[in-house]
Amino acid sequence: MALLWLGPSLLLIAAVVVYPAIALIRASLGRYSITGLYGGFVGLQNYVRLLEQPALPAVVANTVVWVVTVVAITVVVSLGLAQFLNQRFPGRRLVRWALIVPWAASLVMTAKLFVWIYDYYFGILNHVLVRLGVLAAPIDWLGEDATVMGAMIVVGIFVSLPFTTYVVLAGLASIPDEVYEAARVDGASRWRTYRSVTLPLLRPALVVAIVLNVIYVFNSFPIVWTLNDRNPGFGHDTLITYMYKIAFKSAARDVGLAAALGIVNVLMILVAVAFYLRTVQWREVEA
Amino acid sequence: MNRRRVLTLAVGVVAMALASACGGGSGQTITVVIAEYSKDHTKPFWQGLAEQYAKQSNVKVDLRVIDWNSIDQQVSTMIQNNQRPDILNLNSFSSYAKDGLLYPATDVLSPKTRDDFLEPFLRGGEYQGALYGFPILSSARAFFYNKDLLAKAGVAGPPKTWDEFVETAKKIQATGAIGYALPLGPEEAQAEWAIWMWNNGGEWKAADAWTINSDKNVQTLSFLGDLANKQKVTQVNPGKTNRTDGAFQLFKDGKVGMVMGFSPLAAQLDKEGKVSYGVAEMPTNTGKSVTLGVEDYLMAFKKKDNQDAVKKFLDLYYQPENITRWITAEGFLPVTKSGLQQMSGNAKLKPYLDALPTARLAPTTDPAWDRVKVDVQQTIGLAVQPGGNPKEVLDQLQKNAQAAGGR
Repeated sequence: MALLWLGPSLLLIAAVVVYPAIALIRASLGRYSITGLYGGFVGLQNYVRLLEQPALPAVVANTVVWVVTVVAITVVVSLGLAQFLNQRFPGRRLVRWALIVPWAASLVMTAKLFVWIYDYYFGILNHVLVRLGVLAAPIDWLGEDATVMGAMIVVGIFVSLPFTTYVVLAGLASIPDEVYEAARVDGASRWRTYRSVTLPLLRPALVVAIVLNVIYVFNSFPIVWTLNDRNPGFGHDTLITYMYKIAFKSAARDVGLAAALGIVNVLMILVAVAFYLRTVQWREVEA
Repeated sequence: MNRRRVLTLAVGVVAMALASACGGGSGQTITVVIAEYSKDHTKPFWQGLAEQYAKQSNVKVDLRVIDWNSIDQQVSTMIQNNQRPDILNLNSFSSYAKDGLLYPATDVLSPKTRDDFLEPFLRGGEYQGALYGFPILSSARAFFYNKDLLAKAGVAGPPKTWDEFVETAKKIQATGAIGYALPLGPEEAQAEWAIWMWNNGGEWKAADAWTINSDKNVQTLSFLGDLANKQKVTQVNPGKTNRTDGAFQLFKDGKVGMVMGFSPLAAQLDKEGKVSYGVAEMPTNTGKSVTLGVEDYLMAFKKKDNQDAVKKFLDLYYQPENITRWITAEGFLPVTKSGLQQMSGNAKLKPYLDALPTARLAPTTDPAWDRVKVDVQQTIGLAVQPGGNPKEVLDQLQKNAQAAGGR
């Protein structure tokens, strides 16, 4: 009987999780022609070749910078935003709704919008900064090697804020008023209350926000792809866009090699999340 | 959503998936994959053609119009999963021919259709002596210049030689506009590069060997690097500028004096009416101006029992009124003699049609080209950035091209 009820879900899981995973593993062990035609089993050859790719170290470094910076800044800013949205003030409902917009908009559209904001000749950002005298001359934000990553990180944070803020907001709502009352009775300062009462009680929400954000940001394709599409080579790619380039947009054009990187990506994210949960002692939080 | 609704939804999804997997009933269906050349014209034309075909032949058409950004990926996925299309429209064909996936023309085209193809495009679709890539449409590049900016710079007409080109670019730049928009970013760098390369007497290949790093080509790439970094007559970071939203956008906005364009750009310029432009031959360093022709292909995939159905579909497309109607609507150039005749009256297309007979094609007949092309797209821009090394970049491309041929 239980199986009857579980059946459809199990079927769905099999179709959208298990089957693709098996297909990916199989692809990573195979040789493929440029057309996508399967050319036979090659064992771990793709994995060995992957490690020989000269661009790989830079791409891994980019990925670490991208994920750590976006998630860290997002969480800090979200803590502030959530605190603000947790106050009662006229128009709060409107502000809360407005915050959802970057989340609801498609990532490609948001990224395209920022491409134009950053543009050297037409972009509003250069226009404003030059007018205000902050910059003497416009900057090619998406073309200069020094600024591309920063420009992408800003967009990454922008689209990650709504979700993170709402998770923190939910966490704040779950903190009972009594503990604040107790803190007040004990004469704790506001900052002390925040550090010793709010933050510890927000920990479950923060752990969830950080884990999910690490996964989302790591896997984020549209932002890096769209903002970086003008730049030749792999100097500003993350592992996800690099994987796509290996498969379709580089001299390699090799689906097997890209599948091997896909498997490595999954393992890396699993290890990173497991390591994180271990250091924050997730179990204790649960208990 | 409560749990019951989730379950109902799940059952529904699974049921739908099963239904569509078994669907269709008894009749035959062919899958036709077409690249989206424009939102306005591509889908309506092929939908109409598919309906006409279904009526005539009793074979259904599963038409998929896919945008250029994802078509390589989607086709690759189809082939990986053994769900090959029956007919495919793409800008390359020889890798598919090499993998033995395609019908040669003799199996699926009537002799009349075959004889109607223009000679250069016929040759551009051959792999090992047989025609596998059937020309679907073509385009040719031409040199666009902003008349107002040239006049303002005191230049009488478009430059014919490279020396004149540099002079003109400098004069335009001196007026505060940009001399030349050079797009060597990944989108279409191989096209821009090929035109400069040919107009300096360089080649992709000589006989059967790649000559990407020839002295001539190193000279050409250094020339382009100098335009950017020494004379400073290009837009900012030309190695990191794409064609459509970079170079073309600047030209359409009247910010740049010269750019290499093609007929769809002319159509946009006409529509916007903002820039008064002229179209000329490419400036050359050899005395003989060369332009790039681009040929896109239709391919017929070998599948069980589909030969007859595929043949009928191709015959229908290649009926002069059909192919010419579509090519005209999209603003591209003909690939057939009958089409050339019908379209020759169109004054707007004259500069491109004139260039067509002498236009050079990329070496698409070599399967290695499919790798060389993306490699050039991903790397050549690095050579024209400050500190870039043209020789090093071309040496690496040459090495990769030779390796790609061996695979």
